[in-house]
Amino acid sequence: MICEASFDVDARVLGDPRELRSSPGTKENFHHGNNHQAAHDQPHKLLRVHVCFCAELLSSGLRLDSLEVIHRSLPTTSHTAAAKAMASHFSGVLQLTDLDDFITPSQECVKPVKVEKKQGRSVAKIQIEDDGSYFQVYQDGQKEKLEKAKITLNDCLACSGCITSAESVLITQQSHEELYRVLRQNKQVSSSEQKVVVVSVSPQSRASLAAHYSLSSSEVARRLTSFLKNLGVHHVFDTSFSRSFSLLESQREFLERFRRKEVDKKALPMLASACPGWICYAEKTHGEFILPYISTTRSPQQMMGSLVKGYFASQKGVSPQNIYHVTVMPCYDKKLEASRPDFYLSDYETREVDCVITSGEVLKMLEEKNVSLRDVEEVTPLDTMFSNVCGEELLGHPGSGSGGYLHHIYKHAAKQLFGIGVDELTYKTMKNKDFQEVTLEKDGQILLQFAAVYGFRNIQNLVQKLKRGKSPYHFVEVMACPSGCLNGGGQLKPSSDQTNKELLQQVEELYRGERTSVPEQDSRVAELYQSWLESVGEEKARLLLHTQYHAIEKNTSGLGIKW
Amino acid sequence: MKGALELLQRVSAHPDARCWYVAWNPAGTLLASCGGDRAIRIWGKEGDSWECKCVLADGHQRTVRKVAWSPCGKYLASASFDATTCIWKKTNDDFESLTVLEGHENEVKCVAWAPSGNLLATCSRDKSVWIWEVDEEDEYECVSVVNSHMQDVKHVVWHPTQELLASASYDNKVCIYKEEDDDWECRATLEGHESTVWSLTFDPEGQRLASCSDDRTVKIWKESTPGDGSSDESWKCVCTLSGFHGRTVYDVAWCRLTGALATACGDDGVRVFREDPTADPEQPVFFMSAHVPKAHSQDINCVSWNPKEAGLLATCSDNGEFAIWKYNSDS
Repeated sequence: MICEASFDVDARVLGDPRELRSSPGTKENFHHGNNHQAAHDQPHKLLRVHVCFCAELLSSGLRLDSLEVIHRSLPTTSHTAAAKAMASHFSGVLQLTDLDDFITPSQECVKPVKVEKKQGRSVAKIQIEDDGSYFQVYQDGQKEKLEKAKITLNDCLACSGCITSAESVLITQQSHEELYRVLRQNKQVSSSEQKVVVVSVSPQSRASLAAHYSLSSSEVARRLTSFLKNLGVHHVFDTSFSRSFSLLESQREFLERFRRKEVDKKALPMLASACPGWICYAEKTHGEFILPYISTTRSPQQMMGSLVKGYFASQKGVSPQNIYHVTVMPCYDKKLEASRPDFYLSDYETREVDCVITSGEVLKMLEEKNVSLRDVEEVTPLDTMFSNVCGEELLGHPGSGSGGYLHHIYKHAAKQLFGIGVDELTYKTMKNKDFQEVTLEKDGQILLQFAAVYGFRNIQNLVQKLKRGKSPYHFVEVMACPSGCLNGGGQLKPSSDQTNKELLQQVEELYRGERTSVPEQDSRVAELYQSWLESVGEEKARLLLHTQYHAIEKNTSGLGIKW
Repeated sequence: MKGALELLQRVSAHPDARCWYVAWNPAGTLLASCGGDRAIRIWGKEGDSWECKCVLADGHQRTVRKVAWSPCGKYLASASFDATTCIWKKTNDDFESLTVLEGHENEVKCVAWAPSGNLLATCSRDKSVWIWEVDEEDEYECVSVVNSHMQDVKHVVWHPTQELLASASYDNKVCIYKEEDDDWECRATLEGHESTVWSLTFDPEGQRLASCSDDRTVKIWKESTPGDGSSDESWKCVCTLSGFHGRTVYDVAWCRLTGALATACGDDGVRVFREDPTADPEQPVFFMSAHVPKAHSQDINCVSWNPKEAGLLATCSDNGEFAIWKYNSDS
């Protein structure tokens, strides 16, 4: 069936025959004064399409408001299904800021593809084939295949006028398929052309795999190392190691902010920055107001990026772009973090982290190879360069399953600022279990008030309190996911006879099963500070250990509608 | 059993703009109206006619979509397309803006107070339903954000006696929410409508829920608890009123005093339905008791029964007017 149609603003996903009706939703979503016939009087007819479709139309030099589309009635394409599937993986915090399928007339993609403007009629006909390819149909019946235009993930993050939230189109660059591609390529090229493949595994992912296979975290570490090296991976590191840097830098940053709190009103509360879901939300929704509060310390993932593509690269005499750095993380938001322009080494045209795969994607890899971690033999030793190794075990850190920032900064600050040694922290649960407080009191005076705020609703309340000047905290460990990283969107799902709650508890126990180390006492970390960071100078060291944030312009005000 | 609707008064409440919603205060003495002119007007009876007592003009930057009175009658909440919800406090003859609730990504479509007065629900085109809590110092905090709908959420309504919330959406579904542990979650999804569900209303006892839709029907839902004692809650559609409405049914209201069901329709008509008392409670039967075909000159957006005076009904329309009607069950 071929049908010609101009779609109303409220039209739905391409291919749904219902979108051809004049949707009454239009009356409400179309604030067009008192015009009863708004649907028919609108000056622009707009189309709701996927990002890539739109870009293709732009690339053919068309103005969207004069478009007629001939299309075959498509069932839900794999694209749409994939988009829906992927879109649901991001943390709740990130999803809520994602734009929905509604188009207001004034919003344009801020990053339009460069187009070759063609003269002539502004009306064109586009035909969509069953295989999803696009052809422009000229008046004489000739068809020209349209190029697929791509918009990068970064552009998408920077844009608030996006047409749909089809992230799946943009994240295909980061998946276990890509890792396989690189490993395959390595086998086909000469050794001088090979990439050094490094995989950095997070402790939360290890714990998730441990729960799934009924192993300990360290057993998973050893077996996963064997599995990956068998595939051709050269080094397997542990992000608990790079996390030591994040913890130490956060401690230092906190003290520095605390000391200048009288002169700088935005020094405190310091808000943790390791969670990219929180960062993206903060940048998009609260912009300049909130950014000064956010810690500039890099997350463990990006610390590892610095270590691998900086120190490791120079030590091994390999150029950063010849290293393929993969991280294994408990969530999908980490993929967005890896794609930030701030973490792109323009001198070498390479990202510090090339690919992020989730715990779930590692499971897919194992299943695709028909391997169970239970059966893998622990033949290869753990890599010690960037891992917290003690014998055959990996060491973790005390504190929350989301990195322990509150724990470490609190203890350090109590000691350094007030000379108080704290052994155990007492957490007080507030409105709900994802909102906890820790208070340091002496002689009836509050010296330090810290909080852990997880999940969107609690983040909302925190930010609103901050805006009203009613926040009593000095530091807040902010995480987008309820229950923190151990419950990330990329973690393995429970088995059929287990509830989410039960699984989470199991993962938490396995995570805490690792013995802990104190970052300040880690000699290898100290050594790296000396030999590497101090040697490159303060400014360069700052770039390697810290980052910055960028407020994203919002353009969703209805007052911006151009009629 | 034929009834009649008598027009008592027609008021041009929001000139040159849509009148989107009207709400009676709990005492039944005031009517709040809101519209596309970004204003809220409070109307009170002076003698025989309804006069404007108060104009709340600077609260919102865009259309005010719905207004809701708190159970105690001292507060008014307004939901706006500017993505905020404003809480107003009544002071003698005026209202002052107490606080503005932010957080929704885009247009807020509805606001509703829980019967307890401590909780507030809002819903938005951003597909989410938010539940807020108010403390003794009139401070509002977000309790939960629930994302059960796939599309624009049009309406939220609280159960008259239990702490239970229902929402209606452009995704054709109705969701029922309850609090579990420290979070609110969707406990049931009611499917059956073939298009946008615009509004919801509970019956006086809270045993049934009526929904109205763009599919031109009104559906009555009843909660069924399976005999085996399991806690599986499911709502079944026990009655569908079809063939009565010419266009989208935008609003439905169940009278707390009489049990009559009124509807607001895009065919410009207002209708009142009564329940057949002899029908099986599991299969209720409704008949149309009164119908005014051209109640307004344009779409009717809202219909609201006065909570104290039986038979007193308010409607409002795209033409900026609201109208007061008297419904008599036996003419």
